[in-house]
Amino acid sequence: MKRITLLLAALMLLCLSAHAQDGKSIYQKYSDAEDVSAVYISPAMFRLIGKIPDLETGDNKVNLTPVIRSLTGMYIINSENASINDQLRNEAERFIKAGKYELLMEVKDHGEAVRMYTVGSEKLINGFVMLAAEPNEVTFICLDGQMGRDQFEKLVAEQMAQ
Amino acid sequence: MKTLEDIENLSLEELEQQAARTAPPAPEGLQKRLRMALAADGALRDADARKRRPRWVPYASLAAAAAAATLVLTLPQRGLRDTFDDPYLAYAEVEKAFQTISDKMSTGVELAREAGQSAELPQYVLNKIQK
Repeated sequence: MKRITLLLAALMLLCLSAHAQDGKSIYQKYSDAEDVSAVYISPAMFRLIGKIPDLETGDNKVNLTPVIRSLTGMYIINSENASINDQLRNEAERFIKAGKYELLMEVKDHGEAVRMYTVGSEKLINGFVMLAAEPNEVTFICLDGQMGRDQFEKLVAEQMAQ
Repeated sequence: MKTLEDIENLSLEELEQQAARTAPPAPEGLQKRLRMALAADGALRDADARKRRPRWVPYASLAAAAAAATLVLTLPQRGLRDTFDDPYLAYAEVEKAFQTISDKMSTGVELAREAGQSAELPQYVLNKIQK
């Protein structure tokens, strides 16, 4: 009986912890903390942006509207709070692992470690995550929504050329 | 018969040897009886503890855990509010995010290019030597 009780309790804990791991829950947990700047853009706002006919994209700036129309959420957390940075990084890594994200790129430069992940198929991206960790700063960017992989890569390449 | 002075002059090892020699023999079966008494005492304590813990405690804790899990999984999540009300500002923020992603990617591509160049150098030297 004792074993069954323990097993059930462990299963429930596992279920709860798995439930807590996504971009939204990470945003909810850390967005109000001190020394943290947070940005959330909802699907409704993305739809609104996509409908603006005369969107000013500036001088030679890349037009993001085709991708924006397909996004359903964007969560950005930038933390300079040393007491939560490790926790935030660990939780983001757990979310990446649980969400079956694939490593797209890893860059380690001047003490900064940047990892980019995507989830989806060969042609479609269902989610993108960037986790950048510096000694005193952690940045978490999570994009939800279906984007064509080619479209996304082209967009990033265009931005790089700017 | 040793005097107090003699005893004080003895080394620790000698004192131990003396004590072992003069120790009175333990009664037969004392060790066995002691073990049995300790085991009986332990069994009594266990039985008391089992009697004191009601049987419903594991069921109640299980029910509480199940209720907590159900509550967390079924309650609607706290709604998130958009950071920006203005779509233009929101667009600017998305653009900024894409710029950040591109900058980090550029660093990676540059590092890969540099690594490629340094990897080509030994091949270049080898080709020169072979010529």
